[in-house]
Amino acid sequence: MKTRIGQLALTVVGLFAILLLTLAAFRLPIKDSLSLIVHGAFGDKFGWSRTAVKSIPLLLTGLGMVVSWRGGMYNIGGEGQFIVGGLLGGWFARWGIQAGLPPAFGIAMILICGAVGGALWAALAGLLYVKRGVEVVISTILFNFIAIQFLNWAASGPLQEAKHQLPLTDLLPDNWMLPKFDRQTDLHAGVFLAVLAAIAIWGFLYFTKAGFKLRVVGENPRVARANQIQVMRTKMLAIMVSGALCGLAGGVEYVGTAGQLGAGFSQQWGFLGIPVALLGGLHPLWAIGSAFYFGALFSGSENLARFTPAGTTIVYVIQAAAVLGYVAMKALNDRRITPKEAG
Amino acid sequence: MLEVRNVSKRYGNLAALEDVSAMFFPGEVHAVLGENGAGKSTLTAILSGFVRPNLGSVKLDGQEIPLGRAAECKRIGIEMIHQHFTLVPDFTIVENLALSRLPKLAALSKVEERAKPSLAAAARLGWEVDPAARVRDLAVGEQQRLEILKALGGDALVLILDEPTAVLGPDEVADLFRVLRTLRDEGKIVILIAHKLAEVLAVADRVTVLRKGRFVATAKRDEVDATKLANWMVGEMPQPPEAGARPSQFQPGLRVDQLVVKGDRGDLAIRGITFEIGKGEILGLGGVDGNGQVELAEAVAGVRQKAAGEMYWSGEEQMPKTGYVPQDRQTDGLALLMSIEENLLIGGVREKALTRGPLLRTKAIRAWAKELAGKFDVRGGGPKDPVGALSGGNQQKVVVSRALDGGPELLVVVNPTRGLDIRATQFVHDTLRSARDRGAAILLISTDLDELFALTDRRYFLSRGALVADAGALSVVGG
Amino acid sequence: MEWLAILPYATPVALAAIGETIAQRGGVINISLEGGMLMGAFFGMFASFLTNSPWLGLFAGLAAGVAITAVFAYFTVYLASDQVVVGTALNLFALGLTGTFYRARFGQSGQILSVARVPQWHSLDAVTLLLLVSVVAVNFLLFRSAWGLALRSAGEYPKAAEAAGFSVHRLRLGALLIGGAFAGIAGAYLSVGITGSFAENMSAGRGFVAIAMVTFGRWRPAFVFLASLLIGFADSLQFRFQAYGWNVPYQLMTALPYLLALIVLAVVGKGTVAPQALGIAYRREK
Repeated sequence: MKTRIGQLALTVVGLFAILLLTLAAFRLPIKDSLSLIVHGAFGDKFGWSRTAVKSIPLLLTGLGMVVSWRGGMYNIGGEGQFIVGGLLGGWFARWGIQAGLPPAFGIAMILICGAVGGALWAALAGLLYVKRGVEVVISTILFNFIAIQFLNWAASGPLQEAKHQLPLTDLLPDNWMLPKFDRQTDLHAGVFLAVLAAIAIWGFLYFTKAGFKLRVVGENPRVARANQIQVMRTKMLAIMVSGALCGLAGGVEYVGTAGQLGAGFSQQWGFLGIPVALLGGLHPLWAIGSAFYFGALFSGSENLARFTPAGTTIVYVIQAAAVLGYVAMKALNDRRITPKEAG
Repeated sequence: MLEVRNVSKRYGNLAALEDVSAMFFPGEVHAVLGENGAGKSTLTAILSGFVRPNLGSVKLDGQEIPLGRAAECKRIGIEMIHQHFTLVPDFTIVENLALSRLPKLAALSKVEERAKPSLAAAARLGWEVDPAARVRDLAVGEQQRLEILKALGGDALVLILDEPTAVLGPDEVADLFRVLRTLRDEGKIVILIAHKLAEVLAVADRVTVLRKGRFVATAKRDEVDATKLANWMVGEMPQPPEAGARPSQFQPGLRVDQLVVKGDRGDLAIRGITFEIGKGEILGLGGVDGNGQVELAEAVAGVRQKAAGEMYWSGEEQMPKTGYVPQDRQTDGLALLMSIEENLLIGGVREKALTRGPLLRTKAIRAWAKELAGKFDVRGGGPKDPVGALSGGNQQKVVVSRALDGGPELLVVVNPTRGLDIRATQFVHDTLRSARDRGAAILLISTDLDELFALTDRRYFLSRGALVADAGALSVVGG
Repeated sequence: MEWLAILPYATPVALAAIGETIAQRGGVINISLEGGMLMGAFFGMFASFLTNSPWLGLFAGLAAGVAITAVFAYFTVYLASDQVVVGTALNLFALGLTGTFYRARFGQSGQILSVARVPQWHSLDAVTLLLLVSVVAVNFLLFRSAWGLALRSAGEYPKAAEAAGFSVHRLRLGALLIGGAFAGIAGAYLSVGITGSFAENMSAGRGFVAIAMVTFGRWRPAFVFLASLLIGFADSLQFRFQAYGWNVPYQLMTALPYLLALIVLAVVGKGTVAPQALGIAYRREK
């Protein structure tokens, strides 16, 4: 595919085809299913809001994946970073509310705690890699499971809600949550934050020295080393920024939608950031479109779930198939770009 | 008898072999001599089935060999011992021997049994072998023995050895020759690729010389001497250029003192060498690949840590702005999927003019990249196109332009014109000369003799990590 | 015989890890191991549910594991695609597929599913026996058979394997498929052996723990087995520590196997014992 428009068109067509094929594979009536999905995602203001709300964490974790994978670090720990980010925010909230901090400040601090928590959690894996050669692919996944237990413990223990009945934290008061557009829908101001983050990461990757070096390290660490770029330091930066974004996603989810932390706090948002990033070609701006598409799919599939047994997990299959399709295309494409030389 | 008739092989525009014919007889050690790029490796690759020629035929005892099919050439008795061993470092000797003699996969490995013929050959040749030793613990010479034993595990009729002495010490060379003579006396055809005259004269019975892909001459050992062979190999000696108007006074630039550099496997690639390059001077280092060139270049350029020794610039320990053109542009020089502009930026990202604090000045970068690419006549794409889509020559131009940009005081350049056409080569040479005239100290490492003589003011040759002085054609070919 | 009780807990990770040892000896890291186990768990349960035979369940699980690993092999060996990307996609695929099928067939009614299980005797059953036999068998396969020798050369120095006339691609494909079979049985044992039921994302990261165990066991089946026993012990603690009178939060116990795996990896590092070509796609030169 020579032109960007051509690639985009092919991607859109491909995604649509995969959607249809998956529906067919699960023996769902295509026309009806499609209309259920579309209606669920865009049918009314509830649908739009649901779509947008689901796109927000997807976009943020997707951005996190973009940064780390571009830097050559396979961060699969978005889930854990999301959770730890939310947790740190939760700790601050408990203390901050008791201390009577002004809510606007409190919200901002929770978000910052989210980013910091995620960055630190990611840094653990980064350090293991830099100092001990432990592959991030494995360590970040193990950290995910540890984070889940950490959350469970906190929600049934030190952070538990006042009545000590359920493994959940206290619900945040309304003024400690992000403003909503409409009292009836869930859409909150986090959507601005997510889009701003996408633009900021785009600026970072393409307009700053550090971002450029990160991309070079991800493309070819040998060239980087041969040109005096510090590879290990750059990789640490990549994974920490990635963790910060995923942690921020956790914070946004906390003060935007959930309002409390508990066992079901993360619905694989951290993990789903990977297909979002990959299908956005690992580009921060295209990730917006990718996140929106999957947000719509999740939202629409909730509607689908009401009338068919399929449920929302069907979206995972679609995502996975889409990634594999992307991988296959890339394999063919890369063969063109690296011609074999003789001698 | 192995008969080669009118064999030609082209790689794109490059003629590796042009209408070469030769005959190899049993009971003889037959050396094929030539400079780098003469075509020796291509010829033997064709003989052993790893490469298929475009034209010509090869017959063993009257039968055409299965061209381009290495496994089958092995089966009919043509065995090749490569310069780069195909041994599994973590395996023992018997495991390596057995690996090359496995009949089919649905069987027991029976490692000891399968290694028997090779071990018997070892005994016949007077070699002591510890079957349980691991290859990575063996000296290079012992590893080579293992490669030879691998080849002798079957009924080999033809043995081809590719530059076997490049990695051996003098005692090991003597032993190798003894073995070659034994194998010859057993009636095998022994073909030896070489470029070291003294060794060839010591062991060969017959010699064939190639130059730039063509057949030059063939003769019996008694009919030639070193000078004759050297002249056949090199043809006309390139003339060093006129002295020209350059500072006759030596201005100290780079001084390297007892430098020791380790290779990737922990071996000693550079064994304590000392040399100086003055400002406004180009020092050449020639020699066959694999003698420590890459490790030395990386150490001087600051990419690889030195194991011992000192490096000074103008008497200080602080190294100046250095430009580096690496050996392999595709793995070390370029990020193939990034654009031309971005690849240039990898070197230029430190330039003040291109950045504003932590930010990149995209407009300035675009203009700078365009100018640089234009200056070096990079063709095949605009600044935004991926560098991987360019031809080899143009890719090299990107690497060279990046290294030369900004006027570095020290330049380390390895085979800078590999794969470039005449015009591009001339351009790079002119650029290097201008850099020198501006006062840069340049270390030029090249396996191309013409380039070495055209550009350098002084030259050494690298052999097994040590420096060898320049003494005309004989030292050029490593006599 | 109380220590025998550890075996069922250790078996899933141990089986998966032994299969993964074969793959890694060939030079491939099967990131989709987790997906293979999950597929094995679901289809094992499903087959047992349909036929009331746990043995068919095990077999179905094996087949499911092989199927998904075959896809992994195609992309990473023949297309030389990135092992992490493909593996992650397949894990996601397994999660979605098993989750969707499960909900579609069994709904979210919360009915307690109970399928026929593999018969046990004092914590021993056919699968744990299989595990014990495998340790010996895989050791034999890797170190005494011709295929094992060729495979190991492909994992250490692929050029040598090709020079000896073998197809690195074919060797790696075979190793992966065997690993997939192990993963499938390991997953099926989770549903058909231990619990007699299925839960979404049942494998819970055991596939990744198994990969860590291969490193810990220095790529030798016997040590991998022992390492997995250790993890199984840690896993079993979450149900038993209260009986010991330990006063710790039970979440810590649940997290213990993962923590242990991390510590192990940190301490052991990578070292030089790893197959040298591990994780590097092999592109055949023309």
